[in-house]
Amino acid sequence: MTLTSILFFILVGGLAVSIYHLISDYRAKQALFKREEDISRRMYELSILKEIGDRVGYSLDVQQIIDVIINTLGQLIDYSAVSYMLFGQEKIIFKIHLEKSVHRGFIDDIKGRMLGSLSALLDREFSEKNIKEIISGAIIINELNEPVRSFFNIPLVIDEKVVGVLTIADTKSGLYKEEEMTILYKIIQQASKAVTSLQGVIKTEQAKVNAMMESMADGVVMTDTDYRILVANPSAKSIIGLSAKESITIFDFIDNLEGKFDMRGKLEESVKLDKAFKSDEVLIKDKFYKIFVFPVKTSTVGASGGKDIIGGVVIFHDVTAERAIEQIREQFTSMIVHELRTPLSGINKISELLRDGQDKIEKKDFDEYVKLINTDSSSMLELVNDILDIAKLEAGKFDIKKEPTDLRKIVDNRIDFFRPSATDAKLSLNVVYDNEMPALVPIDQAGIKQVLNNLISNSIKFTKADGSVEVLVVHHKADSKITDEFTRLSCKTSVPLHDESFVGFPESIIVAVSDTGSGIEENNIKELFSKFKQLGNKSETGVKGTGLGLAIAKGIVEGHGGTIGVVSEAGVGSVFYFVLPL
Amino acid sequence: MKKILIIDDDEIFRKTVNDSLTNAGYLIVEAKDGEEGLLVTEKEKPDLILLDLMMPNMGGMNFLKVLQKEGTENKIPILISSNFTSPNPVEEGIALGIRGYIIKSDESLETITTAINSIIGK
Repeated sequence: MTLTSILFFILVGGLAVSIYHLISDYRAKQALFKREEDISRRMYELSILKEIGDRVGYSLDVQQIIDVIINTLGQLIDYSAVSYMLFGQEKIIFKIHLEKSVHRGFIDDIKGRMLGSLSALLDREFSEKNIKEIISGAIIINELNEPVRSFFNIPLVIDEKVVGVLTIADTKSGLYKEEEMTILYKIIQQASKAVTSLQGVIKTEQAKVNAMMESMADGVVMTDTDYRILVANPSAKSIIGLSAKESITIFDFIDNLEGKFDMRGKLEESVKLDKAFKSDEVLIKDKFYKIFVFPVKTSTVGASGGKDIIGGVVIFHDVTAERAIEQIREQFTSMIVHELRTPLSGINKISELLRDGQDKIEKKDFDEYVKLINTDSSSMLELVNDILDIAKLEAGKFDIKKEPTDLRKIVDNRIDFFRPSATDAKLSLNVVYDNEMPALVPIDQAGIKQVLNNLISNSIKFTKADGSVEVLVVHHKADSKITDEFTRLSCKTSVPLHDESFVGFPESIIVAVSDTGSGIEENNIKELFSKFKQLGNKSETGVKGTGLGLAIAKGIVEGHGGTIGVVSEAGVGSVFYFVLPL
Repeated sequence: MKKILIIDDDEIFRKTVNDSLTNAGYLIVEAKDGEEGLLVTEKEKPDLILLDLMMPNMGGMNFLKVLQKEGTENKIPILISSNFTSPNPVEEGIALGIRGYIIKSDESLETITTAINSIIGK
């Protein structure tokens, strides 16, 4: 009995142990199996991700990428239908791919839910009418009547912007758990990351092009082949007076060009016939433009065997300034011609009178003719010299030979030279010097003489009888105020000089020619020293001039490293000054 | 003796044309701009006016307009002498009743005299 009992217990015990072992072995195997499954699933996920990655490549077309994803998704997740909604150019694209047959109501239900989640994501209402629907895969069987029982949405985000939503749905219930959702999230995230970084590269490149376009003075407009405007830079918008308008259409251009340029027609011609076009000058809102129209082609050879035309570009080139310069040049030329023609024709007419023979002409008349020929030829000679000087200055061939010179001698000499004409014009002409003048100043004698001639003769010309012309010479020290320096002198300028014009000037000699003449209007001062400008108003005595003198004086003074300027007040007088650095 | 008024701001032109027309037997009076021209016209009652266009103070066109207002222009033939070569002033001048147009740098004193002869005879 005891032995039997013992044997029985041993048997039972052994059985129990082996059962325990069996059970624990089974558990371990199951865990191992689970892990193996997990690993293989993860490997699978990775291979799918890689496949998606490869197939997406460097595409930037979001729809194309999502298409690749949904075509691959069936290998990972079970569903009746996978669908996406994306914002297209004009409409929302809704594409649903049916893995199994469903009824119409199923599709509409999904569509509604997706639209709802888009609205929720973007906080905007979307109309069902604005949807372009694409259905692919299995056929619709209305008798099925199975509702949506499992469903989940993933927002499609690119560069932190919601561009659409992806949805998976099934007629069976309780299908989608965290695991499936995580996989899909990962996939979408991966794709989004790829697109975002690729778009980043493109954005940087685009920003460069944009910055260039934005800063261009020319107006640039690019359209597609349907003449929809893709790009219009700020200049283009401002040309048609719509700087503030955000989105601009071809009709804005058509309306605002007021029929002066057939933009649409020229674009059509250019795009259809692959032809560049250049307009004549077109006047748009007070400015002149030359307008160019070009077809835009792809950089690669397309299916047609040539480069495909993908749109057109219109460039508005502002030629207003060029036109103005051209006009000034013409005026200048005709002025010069007139100034030469008048004295020449005078000499010609005198010679006609002289041809009759000296004996027929009275002595008094004869002397007058000789005097007139002399005056006329002198004025022509002066003009020709001025033109030559200007030409030299422009070509940089005006030689400034500075040598230490007694400036007082030069100025005194000019005062003596002009004294008779000042007396003739009943003007007082004086010169005052600063107490502490340097003995020698480095100047080009002939050049400074010419500058003084010009300034003094102008002052005499433009000042009425009983007025005065004063030449003031000041030794300017760096950091001291010019007005203080001028008050040291025994006489004042007719119009005070402005201290701010002399800030930071080095030690120099300032020569000012001050008159009590008619003065110059503020808006004329700027153009005074320009080659082509001569003030329209004639002087009090009706003196004419070419206006070249001041441009030449400016060139000479600048050749000394100095500056020339003027302060003037209409009715009070003018002060022309030049600064010669020591 | 017929009297001719020369209105021109160019001293040499006045002097040479004056001498040449004096030699041809005319009596000459001068004015240096439109303003002075009006005064001299009033005072001297010339038989013909030789008129420049571009002058300070009052130009030739304005001179013609004032004369037309006063109604004297039909009595005195006017010959424009200018260097303007564009057709506008010519047309404008004709509208204001001028009798002829001379481009003064191009024409000799002889031609000017002939032109004047043909208008008022000797």
